Formats: sequence, structure tokens, C-alpha cells
Amino acid sequence: MIGTFVVARRELSGLFMAPFTWIVLLVVLFINGLLFSSFLYQTQGNVTATLSESMTGPSFWLWMIFLPALLSMRLVAEESRSGTLEYLLTAPVSDAAVVLGKFLAATGFLALLWSSSLIYAVTLDYAGGPPDWPAVIGTWFGTILVSGLFVSIGMLASTSTSTPLLAAFLSMVSCLMWIAIPFLAANIMAYLVPLLTSTAAEQAVLAERMGSVVASMDALRHFSRSFQMGILDTAEIVFFLTWISFFLFLTARSIEARRWRG
Amino acid sequence: MIEVANLTRRYGALLAVDDLSFEIGRGEVVGFLGPNGAGKTTTIRILAGYLAATKAGRLVVAGHDVQRDSMGVRRSIGYLPESVPLYPELRVEEMMRFQGRLHRMDRQAMRVRIPEVLERVGVQDRGKQLVGTLSRGLKQRVGLAVALLPDPEVLILDEPTSGLDPIQRGEVRDLIHSLADDRTVLLSSHILAEVESVAPRVIILHEGQKVADGKPAELAASLGGGGHVAVEVMGAASAEDMSSLIGSLPGVESVATGERVGIHQSFEVRGEGDLREDIGALAMTQSWALRELSWQRPTLEQLFTRLVTGRGLDELAMPVASGPGAAPSSKPEAGPAGLSADAPVLASGLELSQGPTGPSALPLGTPGNAGSKIIYSLNPFDRGASRDLSKPVSVDAPPEAPAEGLPEGLSDGASEETES
Repeated sequence: MIGTFVVARRELSGLFMAPFTWIVLLVVLFINGLLFSSFLYQTQGNVTATLSESMTGPSFWLWMIFLPALLSMRLVAEESRSGTLEYLLTAPVSDAAVVLGKFLAATGFLALLWSSSLIYAVTLDYAGGPPDWPAVIGTWFGTILVSGLFVSIGMLASTSTSTPLLAAFLSMVSCLMWIAIPFLAANIMAYLVPLLTSTAAEQAVLAERMGSVVASMDALRHFSRSFQMGILDTAEIVFFLTWISFFLFLTARSIEARRWRG
Repeated sequence: MIEVANLTRRYGALLAVDDLSFEIGRGEVVGFLGPNGAGKTTTIRILAGYLAATKAGRLVVAGHDVQRDSMGVRRSIGYLPESVPLYPELRVEEMMRFQGRLHRMDRQAMRVRIPEVLERVGVQDRGKQLVGTLSRGLKQRVGLAVALLPDPEVLILDEPTSGLDPIQRGEVRDLIHSLADDRTVLLSSHILAEVESVAPRVIILHEGQKVADGKPAELAASLGGGGHVAVEVMGAASAEDMSSLIGSLPGVESVATGERVGIHQSFEVRGEGDLREDIGALAMTQSWALRELSWQRPTLEQLFTRLVTGRGLDELAMPVASGPGAAPSSKPEAGPAGLSADAPVLASGLELSQGPTGPSALPLGTPGNAGSKIIYSLNPFDRGASRDLSKPVSVDAPPEAPAEGLPEGLSDGASEETES
């Protein structure tokens, strides 16, 4: 446990010492600020709609595809390339602590980035337009969980290659696919269900079953139906934590496999 | 301190370490020696817990089983990989603190220990510098400092001197020397001289197997017969005659006739100990113009090839020496009777005169109590031929003007004159 925090601390301090991080922070905060004020104009001062748009709109999901990938690509691939992974994996910390520490650092950084929305909310509150605080806090909490999920996917991609750029690309594609699952699944199901079934009743049952499988992976819907509304539903939290642990587990196994592959 | 029994490691179909067994006692300094790809790094990585062993009978480091108690091993060793992995964005002190935290050192202990270790490796003034801006040599020192911070019982260093310039190499070597007093050190290298100067014991690996284990000098002697004397002379006699003359010297075991470049004939003389003095004396008595007389140690590559292929060192050392004259000639039975180094002989019509004066220490080390020799160059094509041949010159250089009165072709005959 101590090892996890030591690794996370070094990872964060390493992040904030790299100019890359500050450039990312600057660009993201600048663009987000511009978007926020433009949303404020568009909605003619509707505080709740503005905050909801800037925290969960298409711009958020676009960042969500790029930023975790950019952050997580260095976590393992870069260290593997520079050889510091050998140092870390022969230090007296377990693989799980290394993986968890890196995950916490990257997710923590994203949490900090998204907390800019909280500042907007506070500003609006002072300016006389009190926001829907439960929704704002809930959404912020949700964005951290979504960030965690995408960072864990990115970390898995990062362990599969020692080229950071390839890791970032793999991670972006995976995150895009993850977001697109419901849309892709709908198309595939439209073709598959008639092929596999003969009667209309069967079709309905199969479509429903497949639909429930797809729904269990649909991050967008899980995010929008609880956190976005200001509800901290344990079921939804468990949904994200389960997927995060699954990918972190695969990451740890992938790192362990290096010890055998060499 | 380190026990390895029947260690095997495969990379797919490639067998990197093949049933390797060795033991290293407490306080020993052992060098792993082997060409690239011999399995040195793989073995070291397995010991450090970075790689898993495919199969191992026993794998114990500092009292902990590597396979069962990897954390225990990692806590009690200091490991420095070949690439010296340090985080470039951290400062030296931050890197040290990170290592300290990983090893669960408390703040107070780190405050004392970090400056102490940095001073030990000689980088106490670089604490605030970014690791990424350090030179290769300094980085190596910081890497050592990081490995030393938790005061490990066992220090494992993979190629600690690779990529360094000769001065840095010497510094790192001295550093390892000073560290070796109080801990067990296992280091690897592919340079024999490097290991020899640091480690009293070497383990030679080849294709994942241990091919030799012992003191470097003993190994070199048992593997390559120590070394040989390379002689290049120009004389009136034929190569065969010269060869048999050299072969008749006491202690000479074999004489290999080598290449003939122009009028110079080269030989390789093998025998008991360093035969340079005797051969030099013989050359003087025979009035041969000596061009080279040097002690050649077998290189690691030659030892290896000998170990692995069983080929003779003679052909390895002189790959160009082909043809009928290249075969090593053993001590001839029909050597000129009565010939010995301390009896000056007249040969080739030139008189060998004895110099009346001269220092008592002779560079050619003539056995017996012969005084300094005065000889003439026999080689009209040698650069030395341009000097006045009628004037005798002493082999021993006058101390005030060493280079002046010396015939160039002869002066360095006793040492490694290798100009071609």
C-alpha cells in the first residue's frame, strides 16, 4: 500500500516536471474556458445547461478520447523504452502496487483537470446564477470514474508495446470503440439477430439479451443516467470500478508476462 | 550469499541460460565474464527478480529464495542494470529519495544516508542537478549511489563500466574496489582486463553455460598457456635456423614461425614464463636485428574460441600465418650445441664487441654478468641504416639523452616496437 503511494507520488511529480503536462493543461483549460463562455452565450445565461454542456457534452468526450491516451502512453511504454521499468520492477514493490500507483497518478491528474468545471460553477454561483450543485458534484465524480476507466484501458495498451506513440494510438482507438459500443452493437445486432433466429418471439428475446450485454459495457449511458443527474448510485460506481479493476488486472498480468517473455 | 543451482532460462526456442550452477560466498567479489549473448544479463536479471527462471533447482540471494520471496531479495540487494535507469526529470536528490521511499526508509534515515552515499560515489555536489543532464560517467555514479542507498548486503552490477571513457572506467573500477570491502559484489563484463582488475574470481559464461570459474590469472594460464613472446627479427640465417636456435633456449616449449614481411621474420615463442630476456640476449649474440620483442597475452576472445572450439591458440593469434612455415615447430633436437644466451657468439662475420662501461641494469636482461652490449644494425633497409654503421652504439641509452644516440631499429627492440 505504501508502495502504491510512493509510485503514485513519483508519477505525479514526474508529470508536473514535464513541460508536456503544462502544455496539455494550458491548451485544455484554454479551450474549455472558451467553450464554457460560448455555451453561456448560447444558452443565454442558463447556468445548469451550460455546466451540463461543458462537463458532459461532445467536447468532454472528445477530450476523454485523447487525454487519457496521452497520459497513459508514458506510464509503462515510456518506462519500458528508457529502461526505468527494470528499476521499478526490481524495487521492493509489487507489480500491483506499481500498476495501481501509476493508475492513481494519471487519474488524479485528470480529476484535477476536470475540477476546472467546479471553479466555473463557483464563479457562476458568485455571479448570481446558483448552479445545480448535486448535479455538478455528481458529474465531476462521474468524470473521474470515466477517466479512470479510460486510463486503465490506456495502461493496458501501454504494456503491450514499448512505443509510446503506438500505445497512445491503440488506447485512443480502444476508447473510441468503447464509447461507440452501443452504436456499433445496434448495427451488428440488426444483421445478426435475423440470421440466428427464426421466429419473431425468439428475435425479441435474443435482441433483449444482447441488448443487456451491450448495456453492461455502455459507459456513456451509465454516466448519463446517474452522475449527470446528481445521483451517486452505488450500482453505477460498482459498474465503473469493476471495469477499471478488470483492465488494471490485465495490465498487471501483462507486466508479469514480461518477466516470462523477457 | 548467492546460490544458483541448475538455473535454466529460455526465450521461446532460444536457450539463454543452460543449467547454470554457481555459488558466491559472503564478501566475495565475482565477475561474470562472457561475450554478448552469453547469458550474463539474463542470469543477473533473474537474480534481481526482473525475469522469471524457466527452471531452477535452487535460487537463493542474501538468504531469500528468489522465486518464493522476491520482495525479500529485492529489499536486500542493490541492483544496477546496464542501462542505468534513472528518471531524467528528477533531480539527483529526488531520485535518491524515491529509492529511499521504495525501500521504506524513514525521513530521518534518508537525511543522513543520502549525502553520505552521494559523497561515497563522489557526486555530493550534484544533488540538485537534473538526472537527465548528467554525463554518462556521473549517471553511472548516481546509479551506484541509488543502488547503495539501502545499504544492501549484495550488490549486483550489470556491465558497470560499459559506455564509459577510460578515465571514467578507472574511476568506477576504483569505486567498486572500495565498495567490495564490506559486501558481496557480482558484476558482469565482456572485457577480461576490466574484470581482472576488480574481481579476484571470475565465472566465464558461454551460450548460457559456465565454462570456467576461478582466479583470472589461473584461468588464463590454464586456458591459453598464459601468453607468448612475439618476436620479429631480421637475420642472416634462414627462418628454420632461427626458429631452431630460439627453440634451443632453455624453457622454450614451442616456436611458431609466422609471417615474413619483407626481410623480417616473425616468430611466436611459447614456454615457461616470460622468455623475452633470453630471446633478446640470443638475438644480440646472433646479431639479429630485433624489430619486435613483446609479451602477448591471449585476449578473451582467443581464450573463448579456445574454450569453445578447442582450436589452438597459435592459429588464432596469427590468422595470417598460413603456408608451410606456419606450423609450430617444436624444440629441435639438432640445436647448435653449446649455445646459451650468456655466451656471446660470433656470427655473420660481424664482431660482437663488449662495451666497457654502461649501467648494470640491462633492458634486455641478459642472463649472467655480461656487460652492456654494443651491436650494429644488420638491416640495410631499416631506417636505422642511415646512421653511421661504423660507430658502435650502446643498447643502453644514456640517461641524459635517451633518444639521441640510439639506433631506432634497435633501441626499442626490447620493448614493444611495432612500427611496420
